Amino acid sequence: MGNFLSYAMAVLVSIAVHVLVVGALLINWQPETEHVMMQPQFIEATLVELAPKKKPQEKKPAAKTPAKPKVDLAKKKREADKRRAAQKKKAAALKKKQEQALKAKELEEKRAAEAERRHIETEFAETLAEEQAQINAQEDDRIANSYRQLIQQRLSENWSRPPSARRDMETVIQIRLVPTGRVVGVTVLKSSGDIAFDRSVEQAAFKAEQFLELKQMAPDMFERRFRRVDVAFSPQDLRL
Amino acid sequence: MNDENLSILALITNASVLVQLVMGTLFLMSVLSWIMIVQRAVFLNTAQRSFREFEDIFWSGVDLNNLYDEITEQAQEDGAVDGIENVFRAGFREFNRLAQTDKADPDAVMEGTDRAMRVALSREEEKLSTNLPFLASVASVSPYIGLFGTVWGIMNSFRGLAMVQQATLATVAPGISEALIATAMGLFAAIPAVIAYNRYAAQVEVINGNYETFSDEFSSILHRQVHSR
Repeated sequence: MGNFLSYAMAVLVSIAVHVLVVGALLINWQPETEHVMMQPQFIEATLVELAPKKKPQEKKPAAKTPAKPKVDLAKKKREADKRRAAQKKKAAALKKKQEQALKAKELEEKRAAEAERRHIETEFAETLAEEQAQINAQEDDRIANSYRQLIQQRLSENWSRPPSARRDMETVIQIRLVPTGRVVGVTVLKSSGDIAFDRSVEQAAFKAEQFLELKQMAPDMFERRFRRVDVAFSPQDLRL
Repeated sequence: MNDENLSILALITNASVLVQLVMGTLFLMSVLSWIMIVQRAVFLNTAQRSFREFEDIFWSGVDLNNLYDEITEQAQEDGAVDGIENVFRAGFREFNRLAQTDKADPDAVMEGTDRAMRVALSREEEKLSTNLPFLASVASVSPYIGLFGTVWGIMNSFRGLAMVQQATLATVAPGISEALIATAMGLFAAIPAVIAYNRYAAQVEVINGNYETFSDEFSSILHRQVHSR
């Protein structure tokens, strides 16, 4: 009997331990993955953070101005009450006038604050657009660089080394391309000083014939950067 | 790929059937080993405590006949008695039976008593060390089972990688991650089992030593009685 009871208790404890462990794992695992996914957003957010800092500063004076007249109003109300004992009608008229003046003042202040806020908003939108443009340009540069690297790699694949080639030589050639990626012309912009080497690089460009990857490129980017592309070629990785 | 849920639950449900089988086996082994761990802990602790209590009563100068009657009564009530009481009971009963026969040779009486106590001792030892072999085998085998699941999972995910043209880390990472869960589970099952086995083996040895010492002392008391007659 005692034996059976101790086993039953052991079963319960064991199951409880496992449920606890599994539960802890399931609960703890979820937020971790969310954190990982949040990270890229965090990097982007640094740029936008400029705006919320400006806005609260703008809103604070707008919130303060309505508060002041209220205090004034209360004071004036009390004063008016005192006067009312002596001159009820006069005081009422005066009070009305004062109230109207206050209201007008309030409205004007509100309008001014609104105008300023709008102005700042447009300014912010402009800076944001500028930043976006900058980011886009950087992105473009990155993509262009990757294509440029691809062209360079293809050149070195098709390049056959002339005997006179040395490691420190560098030739800059301009390759003219059509949107399909086909090479239509090559000119040497900056000679390395060795004609055989220049020619070998030129030949490599012709031999590459077509850069198929350029087909996938956005048309406007091709027109801007790859219609004529300058490529520097130097046999750096050669053991000469 | 980024939208994919990488929670443990998703990883387990996405794993291949064999890996899931391995995980299930390991989980079952872990549950069973914890049952043994808890049960042994309770059993060994009560054994140690009841031994101490019995020793206190025994050396307090109580009449051995009374003690024997008391224990027998208790045994009939509960159905069975564990631990040192059994050894004492077996020895004393045998001694009384042999000593009551006329012309009993003192050496023969002692020999019979010792034998009876030895039998009871080995029975008690058996009771103490039940389930310990299971713990030992869980401790030594479950890391291997987990490793097998992991190797199988990684093998599969690399085979999948071979079919893909552009191999990125993202194509293999989930597979490896889910395969590694098997190893983690194996270790999770093994570590408590190893600790518990070592601890309980030591505890069983201590208790056994205590029993043996007691039976020797008891036997010497009986010896004195038999030879002083």
